[in-house]
Amino acid sequence: MAGPIALSVRRQAAIRPPGRVAATLVAPALLVVVAVNILPAFFGFYASLRRIFFFGDEGFVGIANFVELFADPMTLRAIGRSLVFTFGSLAIAVPLAVLAALGIRQLGAAGRILLTILLVPWAMSPIVVALLWKWILLPSPGGLLAAVLSLFGTDPINLLSNPQLAMPTVIAVGVWRTFAFAAIILTAGLGQIPADLYRAAAVDGLTAAERFARITFPLLTPSLLIVLSVLTISYFNEVQIIIGLTSGGPIQSTTTLGYLLFETGFVELNQGRGNAIAVVMFLINLLLIAGYVRLLGGQGGR
Amino acid sequence: MTASSMRTSRRAVLAAAAAAAVAAPFVNRSALGQAPSGAVRVWTFMSANGQSPRERVFRSLIEAFQARHPGVTVTVESQPFQELETRFVAAVAQRRAPDLVWLRDTFLSLVVDRNALADLDQELSPEFRRDALPDMFEVFVRKSVFNGKRVSLPLWPSPAQAIFYRKDALGEIGLEAPPLTWPAFIDAAARMTRGPRFGLGLPTSDNSVSALINIMTGFGPSIFDAATGRLDLTGPQALEAADTVRQLVARNAVSRTLLNAMGDDIQDQFAAGRFAMAQAFAPRFQQFQQIAAGYNARDLAISAWPSFGDRPPAVLLGPYWTIGMSPNSANKHTAAAFLESIFSREASLKWAQDASLVPDRRSVMSDPWFTRPEASVAAAFHRLLVGPGAMVFPQRIPDITRIFTVLNTALQRIIGSDDAPRTILADAKSTLGW
Repeated sequence: MAGPIALSVRRQAAIRPPGRVAATLVAPALLVVVAVNILPAFFGFYASLRRIFFFGDEGFVGIANFVELFADPMTLRAIGRSLVFTFGSLAIAVPLAVLAALGIRQLGAAGRILLTILLVPWAMSPIVVALLWKWILLPSPGGLLAAVLSLFGTDPINLLSNPQLAMPTVIAVGVWRTFAFAAIILTAGLGQIPADLYRAAAVDGLTAAERFARITFPLLTPSLLIVLSVLTISYFNEVQIIIGLTSGGPIQSTTTLGYLLFETGFVELNQGRGNAIAVVMFLINLLLIAGYVRLLGGQGGR
Repeated sequence: MTASSMRTSRRAVLAAAAAAAVAAPFVNRSALGQAPSGAVRVWTFMSANGQSPRERVFRSLIEAFQARHPGVTVTVESQPFQELETRFVAAVAQRRAPDLVWLRDTFLSLVVDRNALADLDQELSPEFRRDALPDMFEVFVRKSVFNGKRVSLPLWPSPAQAIFYRKDALGEIGLEAPPLTWPAFIDAAARMTRGPRFGLGLPTSDNSVSALINIMTGFGPSIFDAATGRLDLTGPQALEAADTVRQLVARNAVSRTLLNAMGDDIQDQFAAGRFAMAQAFAPRFQQFQQIAAGYNARDLAISAWPSFGDRPPAVLLGPYWTIGMSPNSANKHTAAAFLESIFSREASLKWAQDASLVPDRRSVMSDPWFTRPEASVAAAFHRLLVGPGAMVFPQRIPDITRIFTVLNTALQRIIGSDDAPRTILADAKSTLGW
């Protein structure tokens, strides 16, 4: 393009307020979010106030779905199991990810290759991960774990059929799938910390533990906040691994709120009550994230 | 064209359309002499390229139909079997439903209540209604008629959830077939538990079958309340069924850790030799033979469920598959013709010969093929089907979308906990709000 028209275009672009440029860039993503997240969320809330069964809308019922939901003792138990799954997974995944990130930084190029390998489970579909682990944990001669145990003369352990061991097993599989994602965020976070600070700390004679407590951890909190938020949402809403591994059993010992939503909405086909569960899950997610922001949000970069 | 001629023309067209609309229900396609043509979309759990016996037979029937009617294309759109009914109802509402759909009999009433099924009596040919319908198994055919409207045709009459057993394992304890009363059955199952093998495998985490209901069928059809279709979950029959499970566990005939096994898990573990007997979906008999790894496939056999007291051996005919038609189908004529072809005498014989299924057409059982040894499986199914203990689920079962999961949770507690059966069943009843 040349001549007065081109000049005019460039001039207009130059004088266009930066806000409009930003809005133009954000608009497509915003449209997608509104169409895929916001509108369905509003519809979900609307549906939670109606009696909908097997795609038949039987009308407005106010908060009846919520009243019935909390009248069922299973709901509170499911919330409890969701929190156990969420915080149990976080308690293992986050420290593991911090250690992995520190190690990867130390290893340099080899660490990056290791991280790529560790990311493979994250790239796999959760339901595939679940089926894979179901085969690994099969308590018969075909199962990998059973084969390993037999080398030590031990009988197979049916981890997924034991009401006490099923939840820890599901947590372990969930962590196996996700901790590398946390590690990659934290590795990037570690890269943002100025090396000068560590040199100064060395001059001051700080131990490794003191360096971690006084430099690494405070400056890593923005990344930790991201990791905690993303993993909390991910774990609290996890359902595919549970469907694939235990179907909420045995004896409902892994029936989390996410699984209860799946069972109510997609198996029992009570879509009104299913949406009520989704609203409750949304509110709990919101509370948890608000808690993290309050706890860690003000610490970054101090 | 003048304004007056346009009015005349429009009036003539409207009159013709009105006459056609009034006459349509009384003029069947046979009278019109229409040849099937166009596309027919079918939703089923089977894959168009699958290799199971049923899938191969289905593919051959499609190919034969298309060969007879070169202008027809039948497209199979495979769907997850547990979502067929919900997806279909949603698709009908959005007017994008397939012409034909596979549905479970237990979900028929829900789909009917959503007005999502066409009246097949309006679409099937008079010849088919005259010759084929009376030739099918009455107990199944009757269940597809709601308020005089025939909403589907039942396919593959079979005892549904039956007991599969290994003759070699039975032979180890000196028996040829499982005992058909519960006390003797429990004893036999316990004696067959050896090493890593258990006497009996039951699915305990499935949302479309319940071993507890199958055990209760040993009391006969009276387990379902005639008026409500409900089971009396705290009544003596349910308690006896729960106690039976407890005895199986106490005698180590059923594994105490068998707490979240779906039907497919039982199938896989049975194939690996983990069970001497197992609850299984009868139409999968050939699949069980094909995947047999822990035993000789020729040792696989099928039995009715044991009963209580002097009742005949129990055979619960369901859940089973039926085929319905969308009320919005744009090609009902061809869809009906294809549907009829699935239930022809030739097709029935093929289902039996190639997939070991009981023929849908009863008259086919007189074919000489059924006297041959390879017909023994279909013949065994047929004996169960016509036995005195055969029964179906009621046409309407309340909470059909919940009952199996609730009862399987109860079954898991009966197997894996020390809670009193009475408490467990009361909890199940309370969960269902019955």
